[in-house]
Amino acid sequence: MVMAMANHLSDGGDNPSLPGDSKTNGESHRETAMNGSAHDGFEAFNSLVKTDRYGFLGGNQYTNPEDEKRLPQEKLRKRETKWLDMFVNWDKWMSKRFKKVRERCRKGIPPSLRAKAWQYLSGSFFIAEQNQGLFQSYLSAPGDPKCIDDIHKDLDRQFPQHEMFLSKGGVGQEALFEVLKAYSLHRPEEGYCQAQAPIAALLLMHMPAEQAFWCLVAICDKYLMGYYSPGLEAIQLDGDILFGLLKKTSPSLHKHMRKQHIEPIMYMTEWFMCVYTRTLSWTIVLRLWDQFLCEGVKVMFRVGLVLVRVTLEDQLDQCPSFYETLEKLRMKQMPPELQDESFLFTESLRLSVTERDMQREHQKQVSRRKAAREAAEREKAEKAAGAQGSTVKQSKNKKKS
Amino acid sequence: MSYAYLFKYIIIGDTGVGKSCLLLQFTDKRFQPVHDLTIGVEFGARMITIDGKQIKLQIWDTAGQESFRSITRSYYRGAAGALLVYDITRRDTFNHLTTWLEDARQHSNSNMVIMLIGNKSDLEARREVKKEEGEAFAREHGLIFMETSAKTAANVEEAFINTAKEIYQKIQDGVFDINNEANGIKIGPQHSPTNQGLNVGGSGGNQGGNCC
Repeated sequence: MVMAMANHLSDGGDNPSLPGDSKTNGESHRETAMNGSAHDGFEAFNSLVKTDRYGFLGGNQYTNPEDEKRLPQEKLRKRETKWLDMFVNWDKWMSKRFKKVRERCRKGIPPSLRAKAWQYLSGSFFIAEQNQGLFQSYLSAPGDPKCIDDIHKDLDRQFPQHEMFLSKGGVGQEALFEVLKAYSLHRPEEGYCQAQAPIAALLLMHMPAEQAFWCLVAICDKYLMGYYSPGLEAIQLDGDILFGLLKKTSPSLHKHMRKQHIEPIMYMTEWFMCVYTRTLSWTIVLRLWDQFLCEGVKVMFRVGLVLVRVTLEDQLDQCPSFYETLEKLRMKQMPPELQDESFLFTESLRLSVTERDMQREHQKQVSRRKAAREAAEREKAEKAAGAQGSTVKQSKNKKKS
Repeated sequence: MSYAYLFKYIIIGDTGVGKSCLLLQFTDKRFQPVHDLTIGVEFGARMITIDGKQIKLQIWDTAGQESFRSITRSYYRGAAGALLVYDITRRDTFNHLTTWLEDARQHSNSNMVIMLIGNKSDLEARREVKKEEGEAFAREHGLIFMETSAKTAANVEEAFINTAKEIYQKIQDGVFDINNEANGIKIGPQHSPTNQGLNVGGSGGNQGGNCC
């Protein structure tokens, strides 16, 4: 059932006709019967709502059919053939011709092959093969009651504007529960973090629950290490790195944000923890993910640097306090540049930040945090020693008196 | 639109108690039963009037899940008011109040006004926490208390406005140092004659109505 859903969501250039398809205006979007919960009654069940080609009814992710650009059929078929060829000799391509794979990911993976490509790029396809039966065993296990409770509470709060997730207890929400529950059992020390849910939902829009689960595991293990661990140290570190890099790419914006005491976690937490799934229109999200799974977290940094620039550049006069600045950064109104789906990626590759810069900044921030932690510990120890000293003095004084 | 004061609020409490819905009801006067969950922090703002003075409330709505606690802590700094929310239909959200309160007291300034809110008062049939228990907790810890419903809007205005009244009173009593922005209070351009005409606070006011 989920697969069927995933298939029709990943249509490429040609739009398969569905029952209830509205062809009158020649547009690509469909009309879908809203699957309301029982108490919504017959009326809601029958109401017809227009979705975009990805199944969204609205929200930041919605793609306006009028703004959509589609590849010509012929080009798309050519790309598909290339990808199919790569799948046959995947290891060879990754080890010997990685640059070519990267180039093809940057151009965008053909929608019909995206699910498979993501699982190959992340390696989850191979992990799943080695762990057959494990996912099913997680499903039949009871699970940690606290995690299960938390997951249940969040099921109808993931992309509520997407046709797959809008109905309570529907296939989408059910699959989401399975993936998140399985993960909480797979990594009990991490349990369930709310920011994982949008990622699981994105994966479920493309593949069945078991595949989505292994893909999530690969992402958490190999791309976003520590992002969802209690304490959220990793995301705070990456926030500092992003801000450090911003000094290089946009010194005036860096200065402005510094002056207004804007901390990176105030705007980049959602960007990074959900890998932009809740931030950008879906066409851009998918292309970003094609690159992210191929190249890793540096894609998130590059995109983040461009987003800060696009949202704030030439806008500082409208940002007298940090509140206005944050409003801009949160992109309640999408900057017009982002209507062009390749703008973000072209710009992100033109940034004057090299991989070495990123590594250097990473090292710098790691050392900085370490020093800060040590200083805090020292201070704590000194305080404790001081307190002990004073109690010793006090007791001596008492003895004297 | 210019204002006399700006107060910064923070909304805290367990996940799913209705923090974002309270904010939306207060800023937009609507209830959205289905919405994306909050990851990190969301913001809202609205203008209110107290004692004939325009006061801008700037509200930070936080993620409730425990793993986000370390991030939420950095938002306490510079808050003049906090709404600490629990769900009257879920006993565990009430039981966690002590931890939330400890966190809030430890990371905020000591004068921060805290309003305890028992939300979802419309769900009387599913009530697990008696109103008296909320009142007792508030009394014991020196908080203001109210039961609200983000769904029906019952007491939502009052909760936000009463908190502001308390802060305003503290300013009148000289408890807050209003020149120190770390206290979560900012004097608006209305207040200082030299700044008149600059309209510093009005740049966000294009979103219609009294929301800015």
